[in-house]
This record gives sequence, structure tokens and C-alpha cells, in this order.
Amino acid sequence: MSGVSIDHLIAIVVLFFAVLLFIGLFNQTLSAAVDYQRNTSTAKACGDLLDTMLLTPGIPATGTPIAFGLQDTSLTQYQLNPFSVMRLDSLPGAPVSYQKTGLIYSNITTSSHNYLLYPYSDMINYSTALTLMGINGIYGFQLSLTPTVSISIAQVSASPLSLSLNVTGTGFPLANADVNYLLIPVLLSTGSPDFETIAHQTGTVKTNSVGSASVTFSNFSPNPNLTYAFVAYSYLDGITGIGYYEPSHVGAQSIVPFLDPLSTLNVTLANSADVPNTSTSINTLYYNTTFILESQNYAIQETSLGSSNPSGSVTSGPGNSPMTISMGSYTPGILVIAYDNSGNSGVVMMPWGFSALGFSMIFGGTPLNHGWVATDLRQVQINGVSYQAKLSLWSEQSYSESG
Amino acid sequence: MMRTVEVLLVIILLGAAYVATSSYIALPSPSTVSPVDLNQLAYTTLQELDSRYDLSSAAFQTNNLTAWGDLQIALAASLPANMVYNLTVYNVNTASNGAPLYSSVASISNAANLVSTDASSYLEASSNVTYISTPQQISTNGSPITLYILNCSDTEGWWITGYTTSSLAQTVYNLLSPYFTNTVMVQNTNQLNQLLSGKSLQGEAVDNAVVINTCGEAVPIPTSFSSPSGLNYTQGYQGGTYAGYDFTLGKMVQLYNWTWVSIVGYPFYYVTNTVSLSGTPNGFGIYGMYQVGSAGLIAFLEGLDNQPYTNNGGWLTGAPPGEVYLTSQAQSLCNYYGLYPSASQTSTRALPLSITGEYNLDVTTYLFDNATVNGVLYNPGAVFRHYVTTNVNGVEVTNYEGGFFALGMTRIPDIRLAALGILCNYQPARYGSLYTAAGSNRLVVLQLGTVGGG
Repeated sequence: MSGVSIDHLIAIVVLFFAVLLFIGLFNQTLSAAVDYQRNTSTAKACGDLLDTMLLTPGIPATGTPIAFGLQDTSLTQYQLNPFSVMRLDSLPGAPVSYQKTGLIYSNITTSSHNYLLYPYSDMINYSTALTLMGINGIYGFQLSLTPTVSISIAQVSASPLSLSLNVTGTGFPLANADVNYLLIPVLLSTGSPDFETIAHQTGTVKTNSVGSASVTFSNFSPNPNLTYAFVAYSYLDGITGIGYYEPSHVGAQSIVPFLDPLSTLNVTLANSADVPNTSTSINTLYYNTTFILESQNYAIQETSLGSSNPSGSVTSGPGNSPMTISMGSYTPGILVIAYDNSGNSGVVMMPWGFSALGFSMIFGGTPLNHGWVATDLRQVQINGVSYQAKLSLWSEQSYSESG
Repeated sequence: MMRTVEVLLVIILLGAAYVATSSYIALPSPSTVSPVDLNQLAYTTLQELDSRYDLSSAAFQTNNLTAWGDLQIALAASLPANMVYNLTVYNVNTASNGAPLYSSVASISNAANLVSTDASSYLEASSNVTYISTPQQISTNGSPITLYILNCSDTEGWWITGYTTSSLAQTVYNLLSPYFTNTVMVQNTNQLNQLLSGKSLQGEAVDNAVVINTCGEAVPIPTSFSSPSGLNYTQGYQGGTYAGYDFTLGKMVQLYNWTWVSIVGYPFYYVTNTVSLSGTPNGFGIYGMYQVGSAGLIAFLEGLDNQPYTNNGGWLTGAPPGEVYLTSQAQSLCNYYGLYPSASQTSTRALPLSITGEYNLDVTTYLFDNATVNGVLYNPGAVFRHYVTTNVNGVEVTNYEGGFFALGMTRIPDIRLAALGILCNYQPARYGSLYTAAGSNRLVVLQLGTVGGG
């Protein structure tokens, strides 16, 4: 082989590898630019979709939605309808089934006795939301609603009752804030528990520089026959939060409130022994209900439901139907249920309207394994309670991130 | 060897091209690829702070350290922990050339300086400022017209259940008097008699006036028309009924080009005078009122159209099933004039549109949409104007002479409908005062930035 041929051969081989190398390098640079464009487009869509969800009404309290929107039509922008939000299928809670109604319920439970259980049959699920927004197969999303202000409450002493409150915002303690509170004493008797009225059960305290406050009820000391529920609203310059507390429950059985579809305005009260499957043993719990609502000036009011079965009994076991109470109207508030019998007693609270107990929720898909995710944030109010609405959005188009 | 050298040169060239390209393609940082929309976050934060007007209050109390301290705490508590902010309040003034002038009044911040941030602004109005709007005075052919409200003390009302004529008169006075140069309460039937003879009560213009009858289905009748010894009795009592008075009333409405307003029910169904008709019951136990029946309306229309008096007792009105609705234009004007009667009403005394042909009437304003009863069109509330066509030098000229606004609602009357109908017909403008009055507005600007994470 001549020297020229060898020279030619070496040149071609070197050129071949050089071209391969530079194609890879240029491709990497161009891919990064294409990713940038795609991600910017997704980020823009994120803000647009979040505003669409928050600024358009669409999900009615009853009936089939024609669009995915949460706005409260009777209020200004970025104010959400508490009953529209209630119909969203929240991600984290494990579904709860109840054999006596034959329904499966979505579950937002913040403690062992603070429930929001709503039947899946009347809920708006993720795939419906994607279809209503016209982004099915294009984008996936996750919407979270988190209270801006959280109030943690603990019992400091029982005799007399003293409670400590700690109020914090998302970025800072809510110092110098007014806190309106309501104590609901419950007398546990052999029949239905009674809601009692005592002096100084409502009042206002101010938080200190670290957002803490304490409340002492000198005329009230809980004991085995006397328990209570406590609700507090905190507010400062339009930023509003809610907190609640009830002492530990006694016994293994309790009342579980299941929401019926919102159109019925009904709540089904079940004996926990029957959840999920009907118990073989027969146990009766006597209950009594009351309703708490917040007025325009932040004052908390207690009012009777005035419905059928505001008090009564729920018996577990086959052949014993659960009780149904009517909420009467779409006025948001807190349903308080006290129960007692045979070594089982306590107080259960359920929000009527999503924000009434400051619950948080996550709706939509999960952003894991979807590459790049855009997020956006808005401040909203739900029935006067401050929330932050955060949307995470990702592309469902099949392409992989470079680099 | 030359081939290899050439290839090496090509590689060097490609490398140089790549380096040059890479240096020009400078991709932005991740935070600019997908920033949180700080502009919208700032806007919603300001909106939340002002949800109960606390921000507005603080913006005008910049010397109040407590208010500003609370505002800063609320702002810090509501924003995510990685946010820095600067909230500045500007006073809004107006320069001599009309341009707005902004001067900084106060500021709170948790950062020394904010670079590459977004901001939103919110205009706050002082709670001490009263915004005034001046209504245009209603006029015809450039001359202001008079509003007469029949508030006769010697009359009774019918189908105004729950109200008195004087309470209705006072309400309609409050609603409409700002739009009229002269509003005259006609206090008794003697004053009405004076008007019917063309004499003004307080020097006001009688012609082209609007006359609102607050007695409902009853019409005040002066003693001169209702007493056998009265000067005009033969014009009031004709053919054995006081429908003759309604006929005369129609003629006067045409003569003076009045717009007669009937606020509820069947128009002209009764005449009322508690003195001259004190012994006359209306058929339902009320004395001082004579039941003319359905002949009154026809007699009025005949008088309005210069037709002969027939004493025809035929029933004219219809009862549309269900509810009747304000027209879209009327609903729109509800916002303009700040009058909000229910958009849906019940009507059992709607006038048939066929009267337009029979009595030479045009409908100039529809307050309610038409309704159909047994294939016949009725309207529960519209302004009918009587037109007269004359030949002037060979040219046909059409003029309006007299008008009739009948609200065929079922009792109880909503007097706001009568006021709305008049306003819809004349549509006077409301001139607002300047919004940017000095010192009355402050601009709040919230600037947000993120720390950490590029």
C-alpha cells in the first residue's frame, strides 16, 4: 500500500470520528435550546391555567360541571367557592368505604376525628378536570390549596382550662393578630350530650411578637362528664386563618360524618364500628349537633341546625340504619357533633364548605417521573379564609429532557 | 500526509465554529425559564391585604406606626419564606397639564435592594372622599320639563297595598327629582284641577310634563268634575259614568303633551275624591272612590286620540302566564341609574300592542319584553306616545302629542319600576366628578423577588 493511500485512509477515519463528535456537541447545544423553549411554554401555560381555574366559575355545588373553575361568582376575583372545592377528589387520603350506604368516600382527615368524607360518585376527578380544561394528553397538573395561616392549639392545663395558641403564616409568625375564639362546653349525660352555655365562652386575644397567645377559662374545668370543642379565627390585615381543638376521645367508637352529595344538603352519621363493614355487634352512640359560623366581622356564632334529627342515636350492627341530618342551606360553617355512651365519648367536627376548618387539599396527578415541572402561586380566599393556590404543571408530550 | 493535514484543519475549523456557537447560545438561568409569576402573586397579595380594606386604611395612615407594623407582619406572613418584598405607597396628584404625579409617601421592605423582580400596583381611594355624579336635567326641545307627582290628600289609593299614596310619592320624588328642574307635588285635587286648566302651580312649565299618579288603579278627580254642582261636571260624568272624566283627562294629556304614568294594575279603573265622592263605595268597601271599570282606559285612549267618547266597557288588558322580564336595555340602565327592581315581575294587566293601531300610538320605550297571551302580543310596561300627522306645505309632519306609560303589574307596586321607565325613556346622563381628585388616591406598589435558587 502506498503512502498516499495510507494518508487517505487515516484522513477519512479521523474525519469520520471528528464529524461524529461534532454532531453530538452541536446536538447537545441545540437540544438545550429546544428544552428551554418547551419549558418556557409549559411555565406560561402554568400561570394561564392557574388563573383559569381560579377566575372562572364552573363547578357548581350541585349538578354536572361544564368547565373546570372554582371561582365564587358572588364575590370578587381570586375568591373560591367552598362547595366547588369540596367536590374535588383530594389525593393524599386513603378512600373510605361504608357498607351501609354502599358508597366509597374521598377522605381529607386532619386528625382522627376531623373529617371531610365525600362520595366519589359526586366528585370531580382528575381525568374529568383534564377533559374540562381541554389539556388531556397535553399537560398534567397538580393543584394544591394550603391555608396561609395555621393555628396550632394545645391544652396547657385542665383545671381551669387553659389553651395555648400559636399562629404562623407561610413565611413569618402572625404577630399582633386578633384571635376570636369560641369554647363549646359539652355535658356528657346518659342520653344525648348537651351543649352548654357558660360565661366568657367567646372572646378575643392578641398574639405576641412570636405569634403566640393563651386563653384561660377560669370558670371551666373539663372532667370525664364534661368535655369541649374550641374554635379560633385569627386575622390581621386581611390575612385570616382558622384553628380548632378537641380533647382526646374516650373509647374506640365514635361518630363518623359522611357527606351525602351536596345537592341533598344531608350528612349521614355513622357509628365508627360499622366503618367500613357492618359490625356484628350492636352498640349505640347518642349524639347531639350544633353549627358554628363566622360572621362578617370575624365573630364566631353558634347556631342550632334546626334540621331533622339534630340529636338522636346511631346504632351499629346489621339492620340499624345510620342517621341523616340536614344542613339546611349552603352557608359555610362547622358541624360539631358530640357523642356519648358506654365508655365512648367525644366531639367530632366536620367542615361544611371546604375552608371552614382550614383543611388543605391536593388535587390532580403526581409530578414524579415527569421530567421538568413548572409551578405558580396565587393568594386566594375561600369563604374569607386565606389560602395559597399552587399549581404544578408538566408536559405529557413524549419527549425526554436532554442533558 | 496532505490529506491528514487538511482533515486536521477541518477539525480545527469545526471546533472553532462550535466554540463560537456555544458562546453565542447563552441559555438563561433556570429561574428565568420558569419563574413564579411574581407579578400576579404580588397582585393577589395586595388584593388579599385589602380584602377587608385594611390596606386602604394603612395607605392613608402612613404615620400610624401600629397600622404599618401590622401591614408588614401580614405581608411577611402571607408570602413564602424565600420572598423578598418592597411595598411603597405613592400619593397621586395631578400636574397642571393633567398628567398624574406620583410622590413616594412611605415604604416597607425586607431587602436592601431588589434586582430582577416583578411588581404589581393597586390604586386605593380614601374613605373620606365622596364621589359625586351630577344628573342631566330632562328637557324637551331644549326646555326643561316638569315632573308632577299626584300626592292628593283628598284621594284614596287602590292596588297599592302596603303603601300610602304619600309614601309612594315621596319615594318617587327622591328617585326622580334630581333629573328634573322642577318637581311639583300636587297636594290635592284642586291643584290638579288648576293644572288641567293649564295653569301652573309654582310658575313651572305645564307643557310636556311627566305626571305620575301614585293612587294606583284610581285616578284623582277634582270636585269640579265629580260634584253635580261642579263647573266641569258634564265633562266628568258622561253617559252615566265617570269614564267621561278619563276621556277628558286623555284630551288634556294630548293638549299639554303630558306623559301620564300609571304605576300598577288596570289604568283608570276607578276615580277617587274623598270629599265629593265620600258616599260612593268602590265595590270593595272603600268609600270616596267610584268604580269606572274597564271603560276608563278606553275613554282615556279615545280622548288621547281625539276620537269620540263611546263609553265602551270592553276589557283590554291580558295576563301573561308566569313572569315577565325587564328588557336587556332596561337591565343595563339599572346599573347606570342605580335602580335595582327585580328583573322578573308578575303582570296581570298588560296592555295589548293592538292599541297602537287603534289609537295612533307608537311604543317609544319598552321597559318589559313583550309577552304572548293566546296568540296576542301584550306588553306589561311600555311608554306609548300618541302621534299626529299633519300636512305642512305639502309635507307630512308627524309630532308626538301626549304619552302614556302603563305598568300592568299585579299589586303590590314597585315604584322603582315607574322611575326606571321614565329614566329609560328620557335617558338623562350622569356626569361623574373627576376620580383623581388631589390627595384622594394613593398607589400601592408591591415589588417581589425570590432569594436562592438562581
